[in-house]
Amino acid sequence: MDLLTWTGALGPILNPLMLAAVAVFLLGLIGNFVLTLAGQQAGEVQINADHTLTINRTPVDYALMAMKYAVLLFLACCLAYIIGGLVQSDPMDQGILGAMGRRFLPVWIALIVLFALSITFKRKLGLYGKLFDSLIGMIGFGLVMFWMFTAIFAGTIITFGPIDVISQMRNEVPGTPLPNPDDGAYLYYLLGGDNLGRDVFSRMVMGAREVLKIAPAATLFAFMVGITLGLPAGYFGGKLDTVLTFIANLVLAFPVILLFYLLVTPEIVDAGIPTYMAAVLFLFPIIFFVVLFNSRYHTQPTKRLAYIAISLVIGFWLYSGLAFNADPLGLISMPGNILIVFVSVVFVNSPTVFRIVRGIVLDIKTRDYVAAGQTRGEGPWYIMLWEILPNARGPLIVDFCLRIGYTTILLGTLGFFGLGVSPESPDWGSTINEGRRLLTIYPHPALPPALALMSLVLGLNLLADGLREESLKD
Amino acid sequence: MAEREDYDGPILEIENLSISFFTRLREIPAVMDFSCKVMPGEAMGLVGESGCGKSTVALGVMQDLGVNGRIVGGSIKFKGRDLNEMSQEELRAIRGSEIAMIYQEPMASLNPAMRIGKQLMEVPMIHEGKSEAEAYQMALEVVQDVRLPDPERMLRSYPHQLSGGQQQRIVIAMALMSKPSLLILDEPTTALDVTVEAGIVDLVKGLGEKYGTSMLFISHNLGLVLETCDRLCVMYSGEAVETGSIEDVFDEMQHPYTQALFRSIPLPGADKNARPLVAIPGNFPLPHERPPGCNFGPRCNYFEEGRCNSGDIPMARVPGNDRHSTRCLRFQEIDWSAPPDVGETTEKAEVGNTVLKVENLKKYYEVAASALFSGGDKKVVKANETISFEARESETLAIVGESGCGKSTLAKVLMGLETATDGQVLLDNKNIEGTEIQNRDTRTISSVQMVFQNPFDTLNPSMTVGRQIMRALEVFGIGKNDAERREKMLDLLDLVKLPRAFADRMPRQLSGGQKQRVGIARAFAGGARIVVADEPVSALDVSVQAAVTDLLMEIQRREKTTLLFISHDLSIVRYLSDRVMVMYLGHVVEIGDTAQVFAPPYHPYTEALLSAVPIADTSVEKKHIVLEGDIPSAMNPPSGCPFQTRCKWKSEVPGNLCETEVPPMKRLAEGHEIKCHLAEDILQRMEPVIVVTDE
Repeated sequence: MDLLTWTGALGPILNPLMLAAVAVFLLGLIGNFVLTLAGQQAGEVQINADHTLTINRTPVDYALMAMKYAVLLFLACCLAYIIGGLVQSDPMDQGILGAMGRRFLPVWIALIVLFALSITFKRKLGLYGKLFDSLIGMIGFGLVMFWMFTAIFAGTIITFGPIDVISQMRNEVPGTPLPNPDDGAYLYYLLGGDNLGRDVFSRMVMGAREVLKIAPAATLFAFMVGITLGLPAGYFGGKLDTVLTFIANLVLAFPVILLFYLLVTPEIVDAGIPTYMAAVLFLFPIIFFVVLFNSRYHTQPTKRLAYIAISLVIGFWLYSGLAFNADPLGLISMPGNILIVFVSVVFVNSPTVFRIVRGIVLDIKTRDYVAAGQTRGEGPWYIMLWEILPNARGPLIVDFCLRIGYTTILLGTLGFFGLGVSPESPDWGSTINEGRRLLTIYPHPALPPALALMSLVLGLNLLADGLREESLKD
Repeated sequence: MAEREDYDGPILEIENLSISFFTRLREIPAVMDFSCKVMPGEAMGLVGESGCGKSTVALGVMQDLGVNGRIVGGSIKFKGRDLNEMSQEELRAIRGSEIAMIYQEPMASLNPAMRIGKQLMEVPMIHEGKSEAEAYQMALEVVQDVRLPDPERMLRSYPHQLSGGQQQRIVIAMALMSKPSLLILDEPTTALDVTVEAGIVDLVKGLGEKYGTSMLFISHNLGLVLETCDRLCVMYSGEAVETGSIEDVFDEMQHPYTQALFRSIPLPGADKNARPLVAIPGNFPLPHERPPGCNFGPRCNYFEEGRCNSGDIPMARVPGNDRHSTRCLRFQEIDWSAPPDVGETTEKAEVGNTVLKVENLKKYYEVAASALFSGGDKKVVKANETISFEARESETLAIVGESGCGKSTLAKVLMGLETATDGQVLLDNKNIEGTEIQNRDTRTISSVQMVFQNPFDTLNPSMTVGRQIMRALEVFGIGKNDAERREKMLDLLDLVKLPRAFADRMPRQLSGGQKQRVGIARAFAGGARIVVADEPVSALDVSVQAAVTDLLMEIQRREKTTLLFISHDLSIVRYLSDRVMVMYLGHVVEIGDTAQVFAPPYHPYTEALLSAVPIADTSVEKKHIVLEGDIPSAMNPPSGCPFQTRCKWKSEVPGNLCETEVPPMKRLAEGHEIKCHLAEDILQRMEPVIVVTDE
């Protein structure tokens, strides 16, 4: 069988179009630059006497317009490849792009459903709904949800198992057909094979699952810790604040990579330090929820008891499973190496969250509604958790998105250094590290995970930007 | 720079100006068909409530409307040249040299990283190309002109080292550096205390006369405009509704809105029982929901269906008066001298037993030099010093004083947010001065409640209105379950005259006045017996103030509440309080019935305070007393009498008694006490500050 081409049957038609789009874009860019240097300005909005607006277009405007349409044309071509992949059945016609588009079919459906529902009901969905007013926010959300759905549907997307090895396929280029395929197996390595002969495409897809399993959860835990400590530090101030801030600064001043190397050292693992750290850090979410419900319902004893009992039972069940691998029901467990990564990520992220929360509390605690809470005899934790925290949500949500991005990069870095996750794990960091050795000869095993990591982090940053922009408009 | 030629036409001539802001959804007209003329040396006042477009006019004159703002019609002529047609370079040359603007917040107008002197010297160096030495001389002169002490030190200091009043004087000095022909003042004194405001107003007036500068004075305070301006223009919802000379507009108003505005502010003679204020019904229309025809139509008493709402209403000249015009179709039919419809007059409530008694209350704060290592220098701030008073059931006791006088600390001690250093606070003969709020029983907490100053801050923005009231009920142990509490919460909304549908609204969907009503409902949730109202209406618009004040009075009458009304606005204090307590630097300097405090003999500080409050009534004549300097810091109070540094009467006291000894409380009449060394005969010689000439 032949090698798959990138673009398949549509290539001869669409490739020149795409090239043309790129050319027009570059021409527009140069034209814009030259015209601006020559002193031309973009057209200004004029107001007519009948309260209508007119724009007088100048050459600069036309250059900008050309660039805009070139980008749109380029995107349309990309979309055409994906649709072509869905419509045509022969992989030779689909091309690599089309075939990948077809594999991602569940993701496309999920994305379309999600966006259609969200845009229809966006006025009823609060801040989440407002996200769909901003293009930046929508693009960011789309990218993040693409990887999120990829992680969810990874099982049906992959063409081969992430650690299945076919030795003839070692370092083969993208689109290589299998030499003697089994019955019903996929016929091609879409993005080629790595140096052990594993399918790069399937590893990249499964990598999304690995990354998205740890990064958001670790960030969430870091937030719990940071919030539970930052609220009292900002609210009470004084010695407590001084001590906590000092500790936070100590942690922040310690080199992160060095800390990770220390934590994975066998002697330190044997001494049980990661487990103890997990025991302390994982207690914070339980404390957080107990205090949250206790302060809210202390006037209604039955409700209070119910809520606290529920949070204690669920909390300690998860706690025993996650921190000590000793879930009585045997449902929840965390392998030791993942636990170390998790704990380290929480440990280095929580001081930053602590400082953000503390700063916001210092501002909000001077508001009159806080004083109103105090004058009706509310306890300090009610005021912190129910009066102050909800009003700090804007900056915290934005930071949460950004921080998942940092954590993803951090996990990549850790994987790159071979820390934490198991050696054959398909997570993006480890995969890039493996591909690095033969990068000059075979770039294809390292590039897909790198691009995936980049697009996810970019999506998270754009999402954070969109959220910030929209939350300010309220 | 070009020589400034003499020009004797109008300095500023605005004709049919319309300004709109363009958003993604629609065009929002902010100013429509606005015309006015400012002659050389004339001061023009621009009055209206927030959102009426008065600041937009000022920004239009400066041609600084931002990205979305556009002038969509009309012309703005400055000395005969149309500002709309000038290029950016020409405008830059005019701004800051020929037209200067002074903003509300002085700290925001000064560069915090630059010394005052350098900021002032920039002006002549940029606009007139003066040398550094010349510029320094000019700066020194101007700083003297704005009556700041020790000008050389002032020029060397940074903005944060000056007080608010001093900063505003510097901003005015900066505006005057280039001897502008037109000075635009946008609420220049709103952020300042009353006695400081009086000083600034006096200064602005004096400088206007000295330099012959024309002024455009933007304010929401009619009294202030009366004191500073020659002419005024009343704006409502983007339109000028009435314009004319001060005397014409104040005494022969020809527009229903102007009339309603005057009836809703407490003037001397208004009385909460016999002559209550008349609030303007309804709400200010949003800019994109303006009614057809007359904007004021839906809230107007003289509204005529089919005529007032049929088409645009032009300005009409009022015959017989000088350049007096009004935007009302019916102004010649309305009997302007008819007395207002007196709503319900009410009986004065019976004052009951003493509920709250404060004796020799002291509150000192210790300020340590460093938070981490205790020790080092400790400074004591005496926030409250020997405060004694009583408050009885159904009584309104006003606590009057400027910022830093200790009134908020007093409120905190009463509420239990702070404990007293010494003395006692008795609630129903039970000592509460040492019990912090956590240790108070629910009954005590719910009986002492507070209404806060800033309506935009008083409600938690992320909780519905109903939830917040229900939480108060829950904490006070009222109602057995959520259903009962919800019922009670709806009753409370009825009490403060808000529609029940508001229970499920978020605070941002409410206007300032409505938020303040929710705050009142929350305070009364637990059947409060003492309500501390900390300037509850000072942040609201004039037309809303009257309604909220009346609501407070009505609830007080019904619930027999003791109201501690903290305020610096003596007009409103005079209107609603039974007794008044004047505070200065932590001391009670005068206490007595409202009539006693507002009539001589006064404490010298009360006298100055009364004189400083602007009153929007041309028939009132005030004695002119302007206090020198600023309020001393509570960290470093003067020796002896706290007021001795600014007192005009100090020379009348023999020896240096004022500087060495704190005066004792002296009883002048039944229930009237002052803290002053002045001898009896001198006090008797005092003349009333406010005299109503006719009537």
